[in-house]
Amino acid sequence: MVKILVIADIKEGVLKGSTAELLSKAKELGAQTAVAAIGYGIEPLAQALADAGSDTQYIADDSSLELFSPGPYADCVVQAAKLFEADMIWFGFSETGKTVAPRVAASLDAACATEITDVTLEGEQIQVIRPAIAGKVIQRIKVNTKILVALVRAGAFEASSGMAGTQNVLPLSIPAPDLRAVIKEIVLDASGDIDLADADIVISVGRGAKDQAGVDLVKDLAMDLAAGFGSSRAMVDGGFMAHNKQVGQTGKIVAPSLYVAIGISGAIQHLAGMTGSKTILAVNKDPEAPIFNVADYGIVGDLFEVVPILREEIKKIRA
Amino acid sequence: MKILTTVKKVVDVELNIHIENGAIVEDGLQYVINAWDENAVEAAVVLKENNGAQTTLVSIGGEDNTDMIRKCYAMGIENAILIDEPSLAGADSFVYARVLQKVYETGDYDLVIAGKQAQDTDNGQTGIILSKYLDLPCVSNVISMEVMDETHIKVSRLGDGGIEIVELALPAVVTVSDSINEPRLPAMRGIMMAKKKKIEIMDLAKLGTSLDEVGGAKSQIVEFMKSKTRQGGQKFEGDAAEITTRVVDLLANEAKVFI
Ligand SMILES: Cc1cc2nc3c(=O)[nH]c(=O)nc-3n(C[C@H](O)[C@H](O)[C@H](O)COP(=O)(O)OP(=O)(O)OC[C@H]3O[C@@H](n4cnc5c(N)ncnc54)[C@H](O)[C@@H]3O)c2cc1C
Ligand SMILES: Nc1ncnc2c1ncn2[C@@H]1O[C@H](COP(=O)(O)O)[C@@H](O)[C@H]1O
Repeated sequence: MVKILVIADIKEGVLKGSTAELLSKAKELGAQTAVAAIGYGIEPLAQALADAGSDTQYIADDSSLELFSPGPYADCVVQAAKLFEADMIWFGFSETGKTVAPRVAASLDAACATEITDVTLEGEQIQVIRPAIAGKVIQRIKVNTKILVALVRAGAFEASSGMAGTQNVLPLSIPAPDLRAVIKEIVLDASGDIDLADADIVISVGRGAKDQAGVDLVKDLAMDLAAGFGSSRAMVDGGFMAHNKQVGQTGKIVAPSLYVAIGISGAIQHLAGMTGSKTILAVNKDPEAPIFNVADYGIVGDLFEVVPILREEIKKIRA
Repeated sequence: MKILTTVKKVVDVELNIHIENGAIVEDGLQYVINAWDENAVEAAVVLKENNGAQTTLVSIGGEDNTDMIRKCYAMGIENAILIDEPSLAGADSFVYARVLQKVYETGDYDLVIAGKQAQDTDNGQTGIILSKYLDLPCVSNVISMEVMDETHIKVSRLGDGGIEIVELALPAVVTVSDSINEPRLPAMRGIMMAKKKKIEIMDLAKLGTSLDEVGGAKSQIVEFMKSKTRQGGQKFEGDAAEITTRVVDLLANEAKVFI
């Protein structure tokens, strides 16, 4: 039986939805599943990790792992992969995953596939599907090694119910800290904000909003809907939005039920981060804006006029 | 400080890409410097200007990479190595990283600056794998970099929880995000000077290695397919109140998103 090790995605002590999505897919493939969880104060998550669909939980819980450091983190994953004799090691498509996965692959002499949207198994032969060239093409890739390390694109797999596994916690030994790359500090994001990756609705603001007043206007809409509040790169570069709010090729990949692009032109690098959304609404005053080529619903108009009406109408309909 | 910057020539992502029989149609494609490598070049040149660093770039690719290399010269890079080895077609990140490792070992470099990702592969692997092969510390997705002393730099990286600030002992590898800087447009004088500069062109044999030594690809592309392009749906123009009300109704009752 193929063995798949999923790396738990934990943020601020909370297990993210992607972990259950990956484990569900692994079970669908008929795999034996394990999860590796790395951090500090995460032991209480053991039951949640089992419920998400893992039959073994490799846990590295230590104060030295509180601040993310890729070297020790990768060491923990390699340790778990060897103990479990994993054929595949799957990460969610987070910044943590992106920096750890290639290290793990190099250590295990495994292949490494980024941003996969599907995986198939025929006997021992693993193949994956993934977008490339900013989403302009899809590649089918054949793996030549016994082990594959993969990063799974957000929204690729769905969590299904009835996949719960069993609790079987195995502690990992704690690696020495990386003295050559010492993490000094993490300048935290504005906490309390809804994580874009988890949000069912994401509202993003672009250069069309011009300034802080415009950004605040769009933010109010996001607050009304308890939506994630994202951004194009233009507004991050302009200093109006935090880096971690950027949606796109270099930002977050999101796939919510509803994505609303307000004052965003629809550059290819932005599209690469959001075209997996179920429904897309765009508001732009330029009827030729490329964002309309991917939007299910388009409002051609001035956002300063449209957004207040949107808020009113949505309030009415939800009342 | 001696810097090695890795630079790849990639297909221009702004142009249309056509696929026939599982392969990309070469006709009509144009090639440019990978955007993130342009950020890497800019970062290296800034360290040259502010800290007296020496700058070398390396690119693995064909003879036709020379235009791109001249552009990097014009931006301020001092030396360039081109690894021209046709038998590397079909290489993956691991093979490229092995070749880059060989290049690194021919000089006494203190810092490798790579792009965080190549726009053609969208892998984001090569720089990180190179650091493992070299057994050097590595920080990826770097958005700022400053020299602390002879043997340390301070970098910030965009991570999941926020901006991570890391003190990195040299020698080290960093991979840079497009947020790190705005690449300069070369000045006329730089462009003229760049034309005369020499490029060191090598194949694997001249680099002192072989295909056997750099190893085979761990994965290979079997087929390219068209991406499922979304179709634009309904677009409304006219009175803002009217069309917005209409769209909210469709969102609720057709797309069923607000329930
Ligand atoms: C290597 C690389 C990586 C990149 N990564 C990303 C990424 O991850 N994410 C990303 O977003 N970008 C990314 N970019 C940048 C991208 O190419 C675009 O520059 C950026 O997305 C543009 O942002 P924008 O749509 O907000 O601004 P613009 O392109 O300036 O568009 C503004 C839009 O607002 C509309 N508008 C203006 N006023 C109004 C109004 N009053 N009401 C309604 N509409 C109005 C305009 O018609 C226009 O369409 C990247 C670029 C590169 C080179
Ligand atoms: N053929 C190449 N020549 C030089 N540098 C490369 C090459 N391939 C990849 N790189 C470097 O590695 C980075 C990441 O590439 P990738 O892993 O393909 O996304 C690029 O931004 C380059 O800096």
